[in-house]
Amino acid sequence: MRKQVDIKQIVCVYLPLVFILLFLLFPFYWTFITSVKPEEELYGMVVTYWPESITFGSYSKLFTTTVNFLAAIKNSFIVAALTTLVSLTASTLAAYAFSRYRFTGRKILMCTFLCNNMFPTVLLLIPLYSIMRKLGLLYTHTSLVLSYTTFTIPFSVWLLLGFLNDLPMSLEEAALVDGCNRGVAFVRIILPILGPCLVATGVYIFMTSWNEYTFAVMFTNTETRTIPVALKSLIGQLGVQWDLLTAGGIITIIPVCVMFFFAQKRLVEGLTAGAVKG
Amino acid sequence: MKKQLFGKRTMAVITAALMAAGGMTGCSSGNKETTAEVTETTSAAAAAVTVASESKEEQTTADEIKPCEIKFRYWADNTDYSQLMQDIIKKFNAENGKGITVIGEESPWDGGAYSENLFNSKMGGGDVDCAAWKLTSTPLFVNNGLLADLTPMIDAWDKKSEIDDNIYNIMVEAGDMQRIYVMPWNIQVLYVYYRPSIFKKAGIQVPKTYEEFLEAIEKCTMDTNGDGKTDVYGFAMRGAKGGQEPWGSFIYGRGGSFEDLTTPEAVQGMQDFIDIYQKGYVPPTATSDGFSEIIANFQSGLAAMTIHHTGSSKDMEKLFGDDVSAFPFPKGKGQWTSMGDTETVIFESCENKKAAFEWVSYLAAGEGQKMWCEGTGNVPVSKSVQESDFFQNDRFMKASINGQKFAGIVPILDTTTEWISDLWPNTVSQALTGSITAKQCMQTLQDGLYK
Amino acid sequence: MVKKRTIWPYVLVAPAVLIILCVVFIPVFNAIIMSFQNYDLRRPKEIAFNGISNYIAACRDPLFKGALFRTIVWVICGVGFQFLLGFILALLLNKEFAGRGVIRAVSMIPWVTPGVLIGLMWRWIYDGNFGVLNDLLLKIHIITDKVPFLSQVTTAFPSIIVTIVWQGIPFFSLMLLAALQGVSAEIYEAADIDGASFLQKLFYITIPSIKNTIFVTVLLRVIWVANSVDVIFNMTEGGPAYSTQTLSVYIFNKGNALNLGYASAMALLLAVLLLFAAVPYLRLNFKEEG
Repeated sequence: MRKQVDIKQIVCVYLPLVFILLFLLFPFYWTFITSVKPEEELYGMVVTYWPESITFGSYSKLFTTTVNFLAAIKNSFIVAALTTLVSLTASTLAAYAFSRYRFTGRKILMCTFLCNNMFPTVLLLIPLYSIMRKLGLLYTHTSLVLSYTTFTIPFSVWLLLGFLNDLPMSLEEAALVDGCNRGVAFVRIILPILGPCLVATGVYIFMTSWNEYTFAVMFTNTETRTIPVALKSLIGQLGVQWDLLTAGGIITIIPVCVMFFFAQKRLVEGLTAGAVKG
Repeated sequence: MKKQLFGKRTMAVITAALMAAGGMTGCSSGNKETTAEVTETTSAAAAAVTVASESKEEQTTADEIKPCEIKFRYWADNTDYSQLMQDIIKKFNAENGKGITVIGEESPWDGGAYSENLFNSKMGGGDVDCAAWKLTSTPLFVNNGLLADLTPMIDAWDKKSEIDDNIYNIMVEAGDMQRIYVMPWNIQVLYVYYRPSIFKKAGIQVPKTYEEFLEAIEKCTMDTNGDGKTDVYGFAMRGAKGGQEPWGSFIYGRGGSFEDLTTPEAVQGMQDFIDIYQKGYVPPTATSDGFSEIIANFQSGLAAMTIHHTGSSKDMEKLFGDDVSAFPFPKGKGQWTSMGDTETVIFESCENKKAAFEWVSYLAAGEGQKMWCEGTGNVPVSKSVQESDFFQNDRFMKASINGQKFAGIVPILDTTTEWISDLWPNTVSQALTGSITAKQCMQTLQDGLYK
Repeated sequence: MVKKRTIWPYVLVAPAVLIILCVVFIPVFNAIIMSFQNYDLRRPKEIAFNGISNYIAACRDPLFKGALFRTIVWVICGVGFQFLLGFILALLLNKEFAGRGVIRAVSMIPWVTPGVLIGLMWRWIYDGNFGVLNDLLLKIHIITDKVPFLSQVTTAFPSIIVTIVWQGIPFFSLMLLAALQGVSAEIYEAADIDGASFLQKLFYITIPSIKNTIFVTVLLRVIWVANSVDVIFNMTEGGPAYSTQTLSVYIFNKGNALNLGYASAMALLLAVLLLFAAVPYLRLNFKEEG
């Protein structure tokens, strides 16, 4: 009996999981292999799946040469964290208002939010640059945070709205009947239940600002460069510096994955936590 | 009810205010910050007047350079060049003796989007004073009045004669045909790289004419292990962005020219280009091969020849030792090779143009020129630097300098940038894959360039 | 549902609205104006209002039509497969098994990877001469000759669709996984007692319980994918022979060429089309609310 369950588990869970993960992770594996391959092996006529000789030279070069990758990581973290904080707060409030209140201008605002992300950024650059300059924000983290939030907020509002509409409303209504006011009900009931969704939305915001290039290259200077710009500067007219680029990619990916590993624990806690407190 | 009214009203007021602000900013950004510029110039003029009146005894001071900071934007093709540029800046700052501090600001090359990023920030009122430059974007910046006229400063420059008149002429032609907006820095002349060992195996000599060159491409295409598949291709063709440079040599080889791309000669050159692709003398990836791919194809031994400049010669030598050499693109009915270029410019908004000129001239003929060209393997524009042993004893540099007399550039018009980055690669790959003919292709290219 | 007149909702949405209005209102307004001008910064002296001629030109432009068609294919295939695989992954990751936390974390990798690197890495994998994909396919005898994936008109577009699918799976798996946490276990237990099959549970319990999230994520992803430029641009720049040029790439190219008037007009057309795509959902959404 036990054995049967195990086989079922393998066929239904592990097997498809392995296939999807293979697809998802192979490029990452390949990036890593490229970063430790010596250059001669890169363009060899024979493709090697594990390098004949491993070199970590590119990793140390990343921090000692002009790339100044450490500063870029720091800048990216600051910008992404601030953006996440600002837009998650603003969009949670807005999404709550949209889902629990019916007010004049609601539909128009919701549609505006949706349309906001339909416009390509390349057309907005010159006036945006001018605005940032006039506000005295050029070359600061704030300029990036501000421009990223304008794109992450509408998206997050809609995401959270979707989550909120899917959540059972009975708990909150019960609390309201019990005489809690809306604010208390929000903090005590909604926030804990919404936990996993807030984590997911937060991850979305973080990733978006983490990977953004177009604004980053315009609004930063040598001191405030973020990771995508630093990586892009490794591709010159004379080709790609594969070793540095892939090493930079690996260094970018790992800390975020570790962070996500801790964040995902919150994913399972949501409903149970809410139910207990409710 | 009251509260709702209040909400509505506040929103209306906010929207109105924002719209007004929007209109204003919209206009001023459209006019390149004209108002800001005007006030700035007036105050600068006022300052100049006060300075002049305060120092009446020393009439010359107004003409001299005051200590100041100059923001210089550049791109670096790799981390070594980036370091080199920072070293040059450091050296200049320490030794210029006029209190000029150059602040280097690196920006990614970004497949050429460097220029667009620079343009966007200058249009938005950015504070860059001078920048590294590609000639192709000159019309765009000149038409928007962003570049400073360097003619008077170059005329007064003691090293003006260091640079060949021919180079100044190219700078003038790229601008408004009267003034020099662009300061020469270094050039790259394209030539053909080849592998002597593959030539030997194919039993051929270095081609002397264009026809021999086409023949060499065919003969070098070989199946070395007898499995019926080509292992060595004659030529690594560049069909993606930037491919117009080697391609131009084919057009001129048949006697065509950029003036009119639809002549039978030019169409024949295009047909040659198509033929070597369709007959399988170049790797099948040619339609999407950019610079990295053609160099990889050549360096891995997949291709016997390719076209590039001295920028890649160091790597080639490191990899092949003596088994790589170069020859200038051979002469057919005509002869042409592409001259790559890198220059510097000073922006109209720069407040200390004289100080900025000190810096860009340091790069054009001073120590900066020597350090940069020796470090990067680019061809110097300064005659005295060109004559130094370093540049005279290098076989690749020699192929460059030999090619210099028939080297040219794609006509620099306001359409050129789009033509290079978008129209050329897509139209030529349509022709290579056979969906349009050589004639149609050349017609499209002609119309796109001379729009 | 509160229908009482109160100022609270306005206060709650104010921060979000203010930030957005401050930053994008002016530029977007500008772009709309530009779309009615022959706003080509390469020829700034000729800039003047020209009515709707940009829009007419777009409708007559064969490149625009081709790009529009490719955008539709791009969005349907791209988002479709992202959703399908992402949903499957979310269901799998919602099960309990050893090492789940680690697998959840590493399955996010495609999303964490910087866009610059994605394009280049995939181009490198697809490379027609040295690429690992060709090598793998040759080794398992699926192909006999190397395929220049990104160099052929026929293979380039499917290849980049695979890349965008790869990149988008984690988004769906994460969002759907989060939504699945809100479905209470008791309903499943009840269904188990009734002897419901896996598919029955999927279609009668799981999907209805997270349908709002599904709609919203698909809608947002459609908008995002339709506007995405960097994957295509870093891999093929829209070539060879325009075979991978979607509308967003075409707009990007025109924008980079500083023909902002024409680019804005096309961008607005794209936005209108996306809005049309969103209308059925919006209708449904607002109708349900009553």
